Amino acid sequence: MTIAAPAIVVDDLHVSRAGSPVLHGVSFEVPAGSVYALLGGNGAGKSTTLLTLLGFLQPSGGSARVLEHNVAADTAAVRQSVAYLPEAATLYPHLSAYENLDYFLDLAGAGVDQGAVDATLDRVALQAEARGRRMETYSKGMRQKVAIALALLRDTPVLLLDEPTSGLDPVAIDEFNALVRSLSDEGRTVLMVTHDVYGACQVADRIGLLRRGRMVGTFDAPEGARIDTETVHSAFTGRSAA
Amino acid sequence: MIRELRFLLRDRAAMLWIALAFILSATAVTLGLAEVRQQQAELAEIDRLDRADRAQVLSEQSDWGGAAYSTFHLTSDPPSDFAFAALGQRDVSPWKHRIRMLALEGQIYETDATNPDFALTGRFDFAFVAALIAPLLLILLLFDLRSGERAAGRLELIEASGAGAKRVWRTRTILRVGGLAVALILPLWIGGAVAGTSVFTLLAAALAVTLYLAFWAWLSRTAGSAAHTGSVNLTILLGLWLLICAVIPAMLTQAIDGAVPLPDGGDIVLTQREAVNDAWDLPKDATMSAFLDRHPEWEAQSGIDRPFEWKWYYAFQQVGDQTVEPLSRAYREGRAERDRLVGFASLVSPATALQRGLERLAETDVRASLAYEARVRDYHARLRAWHYPNLFEDRDFSVKDADGLPAFDSGDAT
Repeated sequence: MTIAAPAIVVDDLHVSRAGSPVLHGVSFEVPAGSVYALLGGNGAGKSTTLLTLLGFLQPSGGSARVLEHNVAADTAAVRQSVAYLPEAATLYPHLSAYENLDYFLDLAGAGVDQGAVDATLDRVALQAEARGRRMETYSKGMRQKVAIALALLRDTPVLLLDEPTSGLDPVAIDEFNALVRSLSDEGRTVLMVTHDVYGACQVADRIGLLRRGRMVGTFDAPEGARIDTETVHSAFTGRSAA
Repeated sequence: MIRELRFLLRDRAAMLWIALAFILSATAVTLGLAEVRQQQAELAEIDRLDRADRAQVLSEQSDWGGAAYSTFHLTSDPPSDFAFAALGQRDVSPWKHRIRMLALEGQIYETDATNPDFALTGRFDFAFVAALIAPLLLILLLFDLRSGERAAGRLELIEASGAGAKRVWRTRTILRVGGLAVALILPLWIGGAVAGTSVFTLLAAALAVTLYLAFWAWLSRTAGSAAHTGSVNLTILLGLWLLICAVIPAMLTQAIDGAVPLPDGGDIVLTQREAVNDAWDLPKDATMSAFLDRHPEWEAQSGIDRPFEWKWYYAFQQVGDQTVEPLSRAYREGRAERDRLVGFASLVSPATALQRGLERLAETDVRASLAYEARVRDYHARLRAWHYPNLFEDRDFSVKDADGLPAFDSGDAT
């Protein structure tokens, strides 16, 4: 078995928000081309970890690197190589899906042709007839699909996804999970934060369990199999140690 | 930039504020042009009546003393070709006087302000819209630029979008400031074309307005923060607007008025009238002596033999002016000093600076008002210089000779 070099390295990370410590020495690594799910309940520090990796929050201790770039010192390089899907991403409601994608891809300096846009919207299963409509007419799930398409179209080696299945129906969640697996197969690295135990076990090669700003357990997928949901669920709910 | 422009065009709230700026600017320019046209028409009509009246009065005279006493002469400060944009002192200081050979200072200051209410509230002209209303509209365009994106959950998405994210805020700010500037300046330039304003003046005004908006954009960017909510940003910026556009100018005006007290125009009028009235009871030699201090060339003809002679009458009119000279000079110098101090004070009040700049371009500022007064004094001095030989040499009156009466020069204004 070949061990891929880590695309993301978080080492003893301490972060405070509004003067209160949120992360207390979190450490984990995400191998390139793998899917890592950072699992935790509300207030565990999942989104704080992502925002720190994007350079929006400064570590008060420890370090974090994305593709060898220190997130605190080389934020621009990190953001250039990372696609970010915020939780409940709200694109511009007065623009259509096409217009939103065109706008944000231009912002990112990503030249994408119409064929690639349609192919990606097919991939996230957004109905063709809706793509030219203003997004204010979309359901929450449809808006989330456009945001996911945007992250995919950035065509970056690393994707940071914050609660990506929020608002999706069960069918769409299954489609999304398959999509994330295919990204990994393409060699892209995915770090997703979620509180969905089942979803995390479906897609992740490794799960890190975060509780109150501390990494309290990690779970690796056995060769050729998925992580056991029951084990993770027990650890997540505190009924047994991981 | 094109993409952001299209984006702005689809932002209904932003377009509403920009459209409102255009409507307010167009309204102010239209009202200004109407006011200037009315003043021009009024001056043309008064000029026509003034000439007819003078011809009629002169035709009925039998001596130069009576002619000088009875004939009025119109002096005026016509509005400049940019006055429509900033009416300034024209609302509170006289821009026309009909004067005659009597003591002058009282004639200048007996005319009260045409619209004293405007001295308090200001007129709804372009300068008012640009200096006071435009910052409010700019605040409404910019206060929520980043905090609004944060509230909508897009701020991190935009800023994590790589290289282009850095220019988003700059481009959006420039387009909003530019849109507002165009909405304000376009009606001004159309008004300028109608009024025949010089290109230089219009460009200078546009530059002043653009710099002023750039200051407010900088302030909005500096004082507003993505970390605050939109309502907090709006509260901070409205507080700054109130401070910069209302509180600081009012405090500075109060301080300057206190530091540089002025005599009342009414004091000048009363003092002069008392001096003139008292002259009837004074020994004629006393009056003539004071007069000859200024006009020694008439000493040989200064003897007064009869109970009433016109040369004595006009001599005590001039002595009346001499009596209030210190008061009048203090008044003028005080106004000029206050204006100078307001100029310094405008360094900390950009709203005042813009209004002063536009009034300077429009020649409606205190300096222009004082210059008009100076032209009236010069003209009155020429009238005296023209009449004194007739009076002191006791020349025979002739209507034909009256054609040579000096005419008032209204200066460079159109």
